[in-house]
Amino acid sequence: MVKIYVVDNGGQWTHREWRTLRDLEVDTKIVPNTTSFDELVKEGIDGLVLSGGAPRIALEDDLGNSGEYFEKAKFPILGICAGHQFMGRFFGGEVAPSKIPEFGKIELTILKQDALFDGVPEKSIVWLSHNDEVSKLPDDFELLAESENCKNQAMKHRKKPFYGVQFHPEVEHTEFGEQIFRNFVKICEK
Amino acid sequence: MFKGEKFIEETVTKLKEGITGKALIAFSGGVDSTVCAALVNKAIGKQLVAVHVDTGYMRKDEPKNVKKLMEKMGLNHHFIDASKEFYSALKGVEDPEEKRKIIGEKFIRVFEKVAEKEKVEYLVQGTIAPDWIESGGQLRDTIKSHHNVGGLPEKMKLKLVEPLRDLYKDEVRKVARILKLPVAERQPFPGPGLAIRIIGEATPERTEIVREACDIVEKEIESAVEKGLMEMPWQYFAVLIPVKSVGVHGDRRAYGYVIAVRAVHSIDAMTCAFSKIPNEVVDRISTRITNTMKDKVNRVVYDVTNKPPSTVEWE
Repeated sequence: MVKIYVVDNGGQWTHREWRTLRDLEVDTKIVPNTTSFDELVKEGIDGLVLSGGAPRIALEDDLGNSGEYFEKAKFPILGICAGHQFMGRFFGGEVAPSKIPEFGKIELTILKQDALFDGVPEKSIVWLSHNDEVSKLPDDFELLAESENCKNQAMKHRKKPFYGVQFHPEVEHTEFGEQIFRNFVKICEK
Repeated sequence: MFKGEKFIEETVTKLKEGITGKALIAFSGGVDSTVCAALVNKAIGKQLVAVHVDTGYMRKDEPKNVKKLMEKMGLNHHFIDASKEFYSALKGVEDPEEKRKIIGEKFIRVFEKVAEKEKVEYLVQGTIAPDWIESGGQLRDTIKSHHNVGGLPEKMKLKLVEPLRDLYKDEVRKVARILKLPVAERQPFPGPGLAIRIIGEATPERTEIVREACDIVEKEIESAVEKGLMEMPWQYFAVLIPVKSVGVHGDRRAYGYVIAVRAVHSIDAMTCAFSKIPNEVVDRISTRITNTMKDKVNRVVYDVTNKPPSTVEWE
């Protein structure tokens, strides 16, 4: 059984991420974002999901020990919303308040096919809830998806198995959300 | 996948071990508290006392129906009419968070009185995941204080038992179906009741208006679903907006409140899309509300916001 933990950054949908993983028969648990990297390694995890949360990454808010995970992890990490933004900032990109924040239903356009989006059509409906966004892509990353008002909806590290998504694949109303989680589980199984 | 049978078995075992004395359940008659009562009843039987509090902010005919349900389930129960106390506690209170907190505390004080008389040590609540998620605390922002979590007073004599904490509504419904409970498909109804479906002060007069309006919305939508005109929404109700607008009734000027109709689709309340109600159904709801309420309401609007950015209930 693959083991993927959810790091809680205080998001409204952290528990939904846990539920989606559990429904996919993943061994999963919600852990606080103050958990150290060593503690995670001790648990023998195969991957990590960083939840969203109320912190404003554009205003320099921190996200617990996420930086340590990025420095040391060899296993896949999926950053969602604030988790995605923090990943962008950590690796040298920029995060800024969105000119037009997105709340609710938005159309996602996939720009580059990737294992994370297997079985997801070029255009699909996703749900969002954010005030900030990754305004400048970090050097080591490639852009995977966009929406009308947010240029960075998904990104991937070129050398490490790190992914970031601005939208929320864990909520019921995101059309292919469960498929995206299934793909991430597969990436963690490798 | 969530397995209902396994959940029931494990929970009943845990409850048997965890509850060593008498327990009281806050029984609203909704899906969550009814499932909770059935599980705890399986575990400790007559050691459980079910208490239903009529806050005065209940839906039409609700207290009567809940009483019947408690009898049908064979629960050892108390029925308490505290409507006067609740109305006076909310007199002059306009802020939604303050309303929720006052109601949460009132509930507990009523339960404590029964607990003392019955020598109860545990308080069982049908709290589910969205309740504590939205109530916030530590890292999480407070979206709204659910009366059973953020509304709880800091000092409490009873020990809390919440067997459904990690479940969402769709999972609770699965358990309800397995237990063959008649409430399995009921729409959710907030603990603070109609008090948070009145924006601003929840006076008895406004409560009567919104109670009637909610009843009309429920009946019209249920009948439209039965006729195959639309899908069953997750939740559907009316909200009283304490703003007056001008109308004309029988050639005379009218000046009454606005009623907002809300209906949303969801499976777990964490994201919701507003329901697409056919125009003929909206038309019937609007006409019935304005005609029934006469000079009290002369305008009806339909809420077309998703969650996020809004929430299901207005407060």
